[in-house]
Amino acid sequence: MSESDGKKPIGDPQPAPPAAKPPPPPPTPGGKPAPKHPGFVTVTVDGKELVAKPGENMVDAVKKVGSEIPYYCYHHRLSIAANCRMCLVEVSNSAKLVPACQTPMAEGMVIHTNNARVQESQRAVLEMILLNHPVDCSICDQAGECKLQDYYQVHDYRSSRLEGEKVLRSKRKVLGPTVVLDQERCIQCTRCVRFMAEVAREPQLGMFGRGSAEYIDTFPGKQLDSNYSGNTVDICPVGALLNRDFRFRARSWFLSAAPSVCTGCSRGCSTYVDFMGQDTYRYRPRENEQINKSWMCDQGRLSYKYVNQHRVAAVLLGRGEDRREATVPEALKLVAEQFKALAGTEGLAVLVSPVASNEDLLAALAFARDALGVRSVYVSGRPEGAGDHFLMTPDKNPNRRGLEWIARGLEVALKPFSELGQSINAGKVKALYAVGGEVPVDPSLVAHGFARLEYLVLQASNESAITAQAHVLLPSAVHIEDEGSFTNLDGITQRFRRAYPARADVKPHWAWVVALAQEFGFPWMQASARDVFREWGPRVAELASFDWDGAAPPLKVTRGINPLATGADGRPPGYREFGPPRVRGI
Amino acid sequence: MANADEREIEELPTDEDSELEAHLQTKRMVLNMGPSHPATHGTVRLRVELEGETIVHVDPEIGFLHRGFQKSCENVTWNQCLPYTDRLNYVSAIMNNLGFLNAVEKLVGLEIPERAQYIRVAASELHRMHDHLTCVGAIGLELGGFSAFLYAIEGRELIMDRVGELTGARLTTTFGRVGGLNRDLPDGWIDRVNRTLDKIHELLGEVDGLLTNNRIFVDRTRGTGVITAQDALDFGFTGPCLRANGINYDVRKAHPYWVYDRMDFDVPIGQNGDNYDRYLMRMEELKQSEKIIRQSLRELPAGPVIVDDWRIALPPKAEVYGTIEGVISHFKLVMEGVPVPPGEVYDCTESANGELGWYLVSDGSGRPYKVHVRAPGFAILSGMPRMVEGRMLADVIPTFDTINMIGGEVEQ
Repeated sequence: MSESDGKKPIGDPQPAPPAAKPPPPPPTPGGKPAPKHPGFVTVTVDGKELVAKPGENMVDAVKKVGSEIPYYCYHHRLSIAANCRMCLVEVSNSAKLVPACQTPMAEGMVIHTNNARVQESQRAVLEMILLNHPVDCSICDQAGECKLQDYYQVHDYRSSRLEGEKVLRSKRKVLGPTVVLDQERCIQCTRCVRFMAEVAREPQLGMFGRGSAEYIDTFPGKQLDSNYSGNTVDICPVGALLNRDFRFRARSWFLSAAPSVCTGCSRGCSTYVDFMGQDTYRYRPRENEQINKSWMCDQGRLSYKYVNQHRVAAVLLGRGEDRREATVPEALKLVAEQFKALAGTEGLAVLVSPVASNEDLLAALAFARDALGVRSVYVSGRPEGAGDHFLMTPDKNPNRRGLEWIARGLEVALKPFSELGQSINAGKVKALYAVGGEVPVDPSLVAHGFARLEYLVLQASNESAITAQAHVLLPSAVHIEDEGSFTNLDGITQRFRRAYPARADVKPHWAWVVALAQEFGFPWMQASARDVFREWGPRVAELASFDWDGAAPPLKVTRGINPLATGADGRPPGYREFGPPRVRGI
Repeated sequence: MANADEREIEELPTDEDSELEAHLQTKRMVLNMGPSHPATHGTVRLRVELEGETIVHVDPEIGFLHRGFQKSCENVTWNQCLPYTDRLNYVSAIMNNLGFLNAVEKLVGLEIPERAQYIRVAASELHRMHDHLTCVGAIGLELGGFSAFLYAIEGRELIMDRVGELTGARLTTTFGRVGGLNRDLPDGWIDRVNRTLDKIHELLGEVDGLLTNNRIFVDRTRGTGVITAQDALDFGFTGPCLRANGINYDVRKAHPYWVYDRMDFDVPIGQNGDNYDRYLMRMEELKQSEKIIRQSLRELPAGPVIVDDWRIALPPKAEVYGTIEGVISHFKLVMEGVPVPPGEVYDCTESANGELGWYLVSDGSGRPYKVHVRAPGFAILSGMPRMVEGRMLADVIPTFDTINMIGGEVEQ
C-alpha cells in the first residue's frame, strides 16, 4: 500500500506475476483416487483441508475453512448459470480459471481462491461489469446493500479506464405493480429470470438481445404481475430491480433489521422487519427451511403498512360526541368497575382475534375464564382471502392454530363470529370485551351491530368503523412492537423479536389484560411476553415443550464492516437501554 | 443590678480557658483550590491539606472535563475520531490529530507520502510552540509578571493565525486524514510562517529577558517543585518534565517517526528537576521547534499529501461525481469508514507534554473496537503531590504551571 511515489494505481494494476504452475493433478492410475474420507470429498482450499459432502457447491463449501469466493449470479436456491464470472478460481485439474459455482469438487483437488491470478481475474471482471454502470449510487436504493459496492472496495478499488460514453438504456422500465427495472444498472446475472421460472413457476421475465446489447425485460405484451415478483428485488445483487413501494423512501444504511414473522396470512413466513426510529419501512424474507425457504409473497411484503398507518394512539373513553382522551389508570379503573359488576353474567361476552400472538391470547383467555367467568369466547379475525400455488394461504390470520391450541389448553370453548351478531341482535349480549379490532366481515356492518352494545371495551391497534363504537378504546401494540410467538397453519410455532417499542400509551394485548387483572385484585405480575408464556404456556399441551427463549431468532451480525445506523444505531432516542444495537441481517 | 455585676465578675474567664489565650489550633486546614481557580489551568480541584502554610498532602481531583472520549470513538469511523482528539490537549490539537492518525496508519501498515510527513512535522512543531508559549506565558502571569504573558500570547496568536490558514480552524483543527492530510499548504503559507517565526523569536527574547533572570521569578521557581529522577521515571513522566531531571528521552529521537530523523535539532536536558528547569526546557524547545519548522519547510518535497488508495483515502471529487468507481469508494468510505484490518497496536509520538501513546484495537470494521490514549499529563499530574508535599502552599502555583496539566487530555 505504499503510495508515496505519488503514482496513481490507475487501472493498470501490477501485471499478475506469471501464475505458479498449478500443481499436477494427483496421480490417477486407472480411475479416481480413493477418497481420503470415505463418503466425502476431500479438497485443499488455500492450503487448508476441506471435507465436503458430495455435490456440495464450492462457493458455499469454502466458507467452512474461512475462504470467500465473490459471486453475483449464484444463488443456492436457483439453478447454476455461471455467467457473472466473478467466482472464477484456480483449481488443480484445469489450466484455465473455472467458475466455482459450476465446478464439482473432485477428490484431491487443490483450489486457490485468492492468489494473484484469481485476484487479477476478479479485478478484471469487476472493471468490466462497472464499465457501463451508471453513476447512480447517490440515487440508488440498493446503495449500502449492493454487491457491486462491496466487491469493488475489496477486489478492484481502482479508477475507471472508460473512454467515451456509457451505454444508455431504459432507466425506469415499470415491469409490473411491484417492480421497476433500471436496465442500465443490470449486470445480466439472470437471477430474476431463473427465479420466476424455477421458484415462482410463472416465467414472466426473459433475457433479450446479445452481447453488450443484452437486457432483461418481460415477455412481449406481458407484465411482471406474479405474487412473488418482489423476491426478484431481493435477489437482484445490484440496484436494477427495485420495489416500487420502497423506492426512494430510505437509505439502507440507516435501516436496522429485526427478525420477525409476516402476519399477512396463516403461512407465517419468517421475515426481517427493516425499521428506522419507530417506523417500519419494509419486510424482507428471512431464511427458513421449514416454511418459506428464502421467499415471501408480495401481499405479505406489503402487509407492513397497517403497522404505520391509522393507528389508535391514545386511550379513548366514550362514543361519538362524548369521546375524550383519558389516562391509562382512569380507563383501567373504569373498566374494572364495570366488568366486576358484569362478571359471570350472560350479558358479558369476550371476543378474541387470531391476529394476536400466543402470549396475548394466553393472557386474554386466562383473564376471560378466571376473572370474567366466561367459558366460551367468540373468534374475530381478518376475512378469508385468496390463496395461491406457493406460499399464500386463504386464511389471513397468522395465529388461528395457536388460538385453537390455547383455547383447548385453557378449557375455553371457541364460538364463530356469526353467533356473536345473533346474540347481540337477540339482546343476549349487552357488554363485550374485544381483544383485537379485526373482524371477518365488513366493519361498517359489524359497527352497526356493535352500536347496540351497552358496553364495548376494545383493544385495537388500528382505527376502523368498529373502534368508533367502543366505550373504552385501548390502543394495542402490533407484533413488531413486542416479542412473542405465532403458530402457523402447519403447527410450526415461531418466535419473533421486537423491532422498536410502542409509542406512549400503546401496550400489547397481554399488558392490557394483566393491568386489568391487577385492577380486579388478581396477583398477576407478568411484566413481559416471556413471563406470560411461562405462566400459562405449560398448560397448553402443544406449547408446553416450546423453548421460548431458545427459539428466538438470533440477531444476526454480519461479518466485517457492520454499519450502525448513524446517531441512533437503530435504537430510537430515549431507548438506549433497549437491547443491543440492531444490524442488518442476511 | 449589683447581683448581675457580681455574676459577671464571677463568670469572667480565667487566663487558661480564655479564647484569646487558647493554644493555636492543632487541626490541619483543608483548602480547596479549584475546580474554578485563577491559578489552575484546567478545571481541576486540588484538595490541599495544610499545617500552617506547609503542605501535608495534596489530592488532585480530576474528572470535571471527562467527556467519554474513548467510548465515543467506538461509535464513529476512524476518521470521525479526529474531532474528538482535538479536544484532548486542546492547546496543541494538531499533535493529537496526527498522533492518532500515525497509530491508525501503523495498524493499517501504511506509509504516507513524504510531503505529508514533512507537513506533519512542521504542523506538529508549530503546535508545540503554541503549547509551550501558552505554558511559559501562564507561568509568568501566575507569578505576577503580566508583561511576559502578553508577549507569549502575542506569539501564540500569530501561530493561531497560521494554523487557521492551514486547517481552517484556530483551535479544533481536525487536521489530517488516515493516509496523509486532508489539504495541502495554502499559497504563500511558508513565507508567512517564516515571518511569524521571526516575530516569535523576537518575542521570546522579550519573555526571556523578563523571566529567566528575574529575581522574583527565579526565587519562586528554582528549587521548588522538585522531583527526583527516579521518582519521575516511576511516575511515568515524559516530555519536558522528565528531561528537566536530566533523563534524555524524546520519542522524536528515541523512535523517530515521519521525517524527524532527517531534522537537525537538539533535545535540551536539565539537571535539577525543579520548576525552573522545566521552564528552561520549554524555552529551549521553543527555539529547537523553530529550527525544525524552518528546516522542514525548506526541504519540503513536492508530491501528493495523501495516499492514492481508494480503500483508504477519498477519491478526487472529479472521480466521485463523474465515475461509478469514485462514487462507490466515496460512499463506502464515508458510510462505513476505512476498513482497518483486525489487530492491535501501540504507537506514540512526542507531544508538547511528553509521550502521547495510543493503544488501538480494530475488529476489521470501519470503526475502532477500542481506543485508549496514554495522555502524558495524567502521569505527570499524579506525580504532582510528590513535588509539593512538605513545601509551602505558594509552591503549588509554579509547580502546577510548569507541569502544564491540560484537563482535556488528562480527563479525556
